[in-house]
This record gives sequence, structure tokens and C-alpha cells, in this order.
Amino acid sequence: MADFRLPANSRIRKGVTHKAPEAAREVRAFRIYRFDPDSGENPRVDTFELEAGECGQMVLDALIRIKSTVDSSLAFRRSCREGICGSCAMNIDGLNRLACITSLHDLGREVHIYPLPHMPVVKDLVPDLTHFYAQYASVKPWLLAETPAPPDRERLQSKAEQEKIDRPAACILCACCSTSCPSYWWNSDRYLGPAALLAAYRWIIDSRDEASGQRLDALEDPFKLYRCHTIMNCTDVCPKDLNPAKAIAEIKKMLVERQS
Amino acid sequence: MADRPLSPHLSVYRMHRYTVLTSITNRFTGVVLSAGLIVLVYWLMAAAGGAKAYARALGVLSSGLFQAIFLLLLAAFSYHLFAGIRHLIWDSGRGLERRQSQRSAWLLGIASLLLFAGLAWWACLHWAIAGAGGPQ
Repeated sequence: MADFRLPANSRIRKGVTHKAPEAAREVRAFRIYRFDPDSGENPRVDTFELEAGECGQMVLDALIRIKSTVDSSLAFRRSCREGICGSCAMNIDGLNRLACITSLHDLGREVHIYPLPHMPVVKDLVPDLTHFYAQYASVKPWLLAETPAPPDRERLQSKAEQEKIDRPAACILCACCSTSCPSYWWNSDRYLGPAALLAAYRWIIDSRDEASGQRLDALEDPFKLYRCHTIMNCTDVCPKDLNPAKAIAEIKKMLVERQS
Repeated sequence: MADRPLSPHLSVYRMHRYTVLTSITNRFTGVVLSAGLIVLVYWLMAAAGGAKAYARALGVLSSGLFQAIFLLLLAAFSYHLFAGIRHLIWDSGRGLERRQSQRSAWLLGIASLLLFAGLAWWACLHWAIAGAGGPQ
């Protein structure tokens, strides 16, 4: 059920401020969500002031700068720093994005950074994605086919068939979409969320897959699919320019069409 | 791990985003319109209750308070109508690209304002005529 308030152990306290050095000419402030599982205390928001010239280009550069020069206990995920691994997804100034490809030039003097919304927090900016991955696994994101593959080559597709799955298959599972979705916030226990549904769609329309009917059966449920109310936050924030909202609409259409 | 805190959601997510705004307004206007049905039921019951009850109901319904409520319902109707059409188009699989939904959000705002302006003008004109004792 929708609970609009944060539970008691999740309410945010005032944090500490790490001032920029006196000599700093231009200051940028980063207000960052902190949670230390070992302290037993509620989360807080710390302020880190950096000399603007030392922040680097991207939000991730600034986070690394903070970690290496101000507070080494700051925890966040990162890997590729070029928008392909999806590790550094977080809520930056109110929108879910990848820190590594979010330019500081597009943000104000003050940058607010929180973990992906409505997720259990492991530490600081690191959410627990166990459930999210389990939902992805639940749509069986692999090829289901009775027909054996040709012995001498791969299962072939036409160019047009490939192009259909080109975009949906480019999902990096960063979870920006699912955690931007209010329906997912309130019903993530039963609603699969945009990322898992985009993956389901990608396999339903794959010309080599033979289990479309079975995949559609699995989604025909008041919660798994139909909690999508086309709010469009998913498509709005996808850092890879994919379109989970359209994928979900297409699945709904297929379910209606196969009834007639 | 039951004691993991829940990351903030409503309090940090950008609420003045076209996606969130159009969706929550659609919900809100839907609720307003449902509540407005009570007014309709009251009017129907009065009509069924005979000439006297109907005359009394007309008196109540033409009061300033009900005129304000009526304007609010017209505003809710204007928005909800176009938002519903937008959803209908989406459900057909069209207009779901980011750029398209941004544009249709603007279109929705403008169209509903225009419709509301028209309906409100018509209502006020009607009240002015009724107030002057003109043809009902």
C-alpha cells in the first residue's frame, strides 16, 4: 500500500558541513544523503563545499573528489564512468540519472544527491537492488525456444527483426526508470516496474523466441503489468534514451489483441 | 535486513516535472469530479421530489458558494477530458516518445485552459441573465 511518509528509521537528520577552504574563489555545495549502517543512527544530509574549479566535469568526478580529499567513508557505486555500466544511478537534483554522464555545467551552485528513491539503503548512495534484480530474473530474460538451433550457425534474424529489439536490448539495468515510478514506489512488491517490463517486451518481440504466449500469460495479472498508469517518469529519465513506457503500452496492446 | 532505511521519494523527487504534474492533476481532477456527482444526485433527487423541492434546490444551487463549486467542477472537467484523451492515444501505442509526451503535456494545459475559459464564460453569462431575471 502507498505510504507517503518515510518510516521512523528513515527520516533525515541534519548533517555536518565540510566548509571549502577560505581561499576558495568559487564554491559549489554538494548536499549528499548519508547513512552509516554501523552507527545505528538515522540518515542525514551532509554538505560538502568544493572549489568549483576542482569538481571536474561530471557529478561522479565531484563525488570521487570528495571521497579522496574530504571524507573517504562516502559510499557510492561506480565503474565505467561513461554511462554504460549503470552503477552510478542516483537521484541528482530531483531526477534519477547516472552521475558519470550528468554534467555539473547543467546544474546549479548547489547539487542535491540522494540514493535512488524508495529503495532500502545499504550505505550512503548505495541502494539494495536485490529485489529489482529478482524481478528482472522473473521475466526470464533469456531465449526460450523448443526448436533446436541450426547445427552449423546461429539462429538468424532479418535486419528489420533485429532493429525491433535494438533499443529495448540496450537497457543497462541502472534502475533509474523503476525507481522514478510512483507506481513502483507504492507497489514494488507486486508491480514489476518499467525495467523488468522493458526486458519482458524485448523477449516477447524477439523473432527467435518461441514463448511469447507464455511470457504474456505470466504478465496478465492486475499488478505485475497493469500498475503502470503511464505517468511517463521512466521514459523521461532513462539515461540510454530507451522507452519503457512504450514497451509497456505495447504489451498491454498485445494482451488485448490476442483476446480477439 | 529489516533495519535498512528507505531512501526518500516524494520529498526529493522533482514534482514540477511535466510527467508528475500532468498525472497527479489528472488524478486530482478525477476525484473532484467524482465528488461533484453528489451535486448532480442532489439535483436529480430534488427534481424527483416535486416542484417545491425543486424550486428550493434551484435556490441553493444558484447561491454564490455553488457557483464557485460549479466553476471548480468545470475546471476539473476541462482538464480531465483532455487528459483522458491523451491517455487514450497513449493506450493505442502512439505519442509515447519523450519529445511527443512533452509536447502533448503543453497541448493538454493549453486546451484545457481554453475549454475552461469557454465554459466559465458560458456559465457566468447564464448566471448574469438569470440574475437579471431574464429567460431561465
